[in-house]
Amino acid sequence: MKTTITACSALLLCGVLGSAAQAADATVADVEAKLEQQILQMQQQLEAMKSQLEQLKAQNAALAAQQQQQAAQAQVAAAAAPPAAAGVSPDLSLWGYGEIYYMHPTSEAANTQFDLARAVFGIGYRFDDRTVFNSEFEVEHAIASADDRGEFEVEQFYVDRQLAEWANLKLGLFLMPFGLLNEHHEPTSYYGVQRNFVETLVIPSTWREGGVGLHGNTRVGLDWDLGVTTGLNLGDWNPNPEDPLYRTAFDLEASGVAPMQATHQELQFAKTQNLAQYVSINYTGIPGLLAGAAVSTGKAAVATAPPGLPDQRVTLWEGHARWTPGAADLSAVYAQGRISNTAAYNLVNAGGSNPMPSRFLGYYLQGAYTVWQREGYRLSPFVRWERYDMGADFEGIAPGFTPVPTGLASDGKPWPQPHDRVWTLGANFYFDPHVVLKADYQHFDVNTDFTRIDLGLGLSF
Amino acid sequence: MVADSRIVWLPVAAIAICQPAQATVYLTVEQAQRLMFGDGELTPVPLALSATDAATVERETGTRYYPGALRAWKAPDGYFFADAVVGKHDLISYAVALGLDGRIRQVEILEYREAYGGAIRGAGWRRQFTGRSHADPVQIGRDIQNISGATLSCQHVTDGIRRLLAIYAIAIAGH
Repeated sequence: MKTTITACSALLLCGVLGSAAQAADATVADVEAKLEQQILQMQQQLEAMKSQLEQLKAQNAALAAQQQQQAAQAQVAAAAAPPAAAGVSPDLSLWGYGEIYYMHPTSEAANTQFDLARAVFGIGYRFDDRTVFNSEFEVEHAIASADDRGEFEVEQFYVDRQLAEWANLKLGLFLMPFGLLNEHHEPTSYYGVQRNFVETLVIPSTWREGGVGLHGNTRVGLDWDLGVTTGLNLGDWNPNPEDPLYRTAFDLEASGVAPMQATHQELQFAKTQNLAQYVSINYTGIPGLLAGAAVSTGKAAVATAPPGLPDQRVTLWEGHARWTPGAADLSAVYAQGRISNTAAYNLVNAGGSNPMPSRFLGYYLQGAYTVWQREGYRLSPFVRWERYDMGADFEGIAPGFTPVPTGLASDGKPWPQPHDRVWTLGANFYFDPHVVLKADYQHFDVNTDFTRIDLGLGLSF
Repeated sequence: MVADSRIVWLPVAAIAICQPAQATVYLTVEQAQRLMFGDGELTPVPLALSATDAATVERETGTRYYPGALRAWKAPDGYFFADAVVGKHDLISYAVALGLDGRIRQVEILEYREAYGGAIRGAGWRRQFTGRSHADPVQIGRDIQNISGATLSCQHVTDGIRRLLAIYAIAIAGH
């Protein structure tokens, strides 16, 4: 009996143990499967999160780029149209410059003058990426009216169209590409209270003509400009003024007495029976160096000589160089003009106090050095030596006469000489790159009573 | 009479060379990025200067800082910047590549819209900036030579690059 019980118990135990083992096997498998499933789910979730994160990152980057771009566009718009011009088209640009002179001739205190010499306002408009219009309007000497000496003039008025990467076409009234100053005549761009004499009396800055030109620059630093323009009207020459046309250095610069100053037409009912041609080249391929030359030639816009005599031709050529190594600024200009067949004109106007010259010229050397510069402030002393001669040669002076009258003028003083050698010592003090205070002393070798002290304020924006 | 024949040839020549050209864009930002950093991945770097940082940039460079004009990207071996300044009347866009040491590797003019003063596109002028960093003056008349006749373009691009170097040093490298 006991054996049977034992056997039964053993069988039962085996059965229980067997089923328990089976049950245990089943549970482990379940757990494993569940775990696997959970891991899989977690993996999927991680993948999803990773992809979401990537998306977020991309969105974030895009947003940052977009924000920057929007800010950049806002800035570009703000730069193109400053707050003052809010509401005005960003294609419109406005600029200006001007200068005020105080001039004190050291030997003639009575001729001391204070003058708002120039107030100039520029308006430009960009029609498209390749077409731009520029214009400048100038009031000289503060008031322009019939009773005043001032003038209101259009200094530039042209359309510039880019034809190719290397060539532009300009049409209208534009500045002639001569010398260092004519195209860059803002007071912040040059040394001395007034412009130098060479680039006033020989190159008649601000010299502009009406016409058509092609210009461009190359990757090697060679700029070129050529065109056909209105010429000089020698008929405007005054061969016999009763009194000297100038008595001070300032009058000399401001009264338009020099050969080309007196005869350029500035596109006011300009005579165009004959036109002139010009070409200019400039090399700027080496940083700090500019070297260039230009020539213009053309028959007198209308014939002035008596019928049957050859036409007159006016030719001006010049060479210029500027080198700005570091704080130094060295420059030189040579310019010479010729008028052909002046003998006939001068014989017809024999004995005149102002015969037409057959040759006029000028040259200068200038050195400046920035001795102090800090946060926009800059102090640059300079020295310039120049020689000008508005009548280097004359033809057809009647026997017994001289190009300049030898007697006294009606004011009891000798007539001024049309040539001189001038030393200028001075300094430009910038308290912003766009605002400059100037002071200089000018010594004249020939017309010694022109010697003067000048003070000036100039600005450009 | 002779004059008539003279004036005719210029417009004729002008028409002859007139060709379709994308006028003033010499490089797009993307082209400049490829030119300067090849196929390296570029990540935009947001430039949000604090008022203090902006004031420091203005004081150190003597220029005005307007948020937004300058954009920056990080490359594996440096930084790419695109910026725009006003030349005389119009905007000049340019790009600058900096090495990881903060020194300029390359300057490119992207867009030049003015009719004159384009000489700053010349390689000789742009090369003057190579190797310069925030520690250098980067000023016309000191370590950068001017181009006569393109004075304002030179001045303003140089000012922009000096400001850009300061922003890099203060807002990127300094953080």
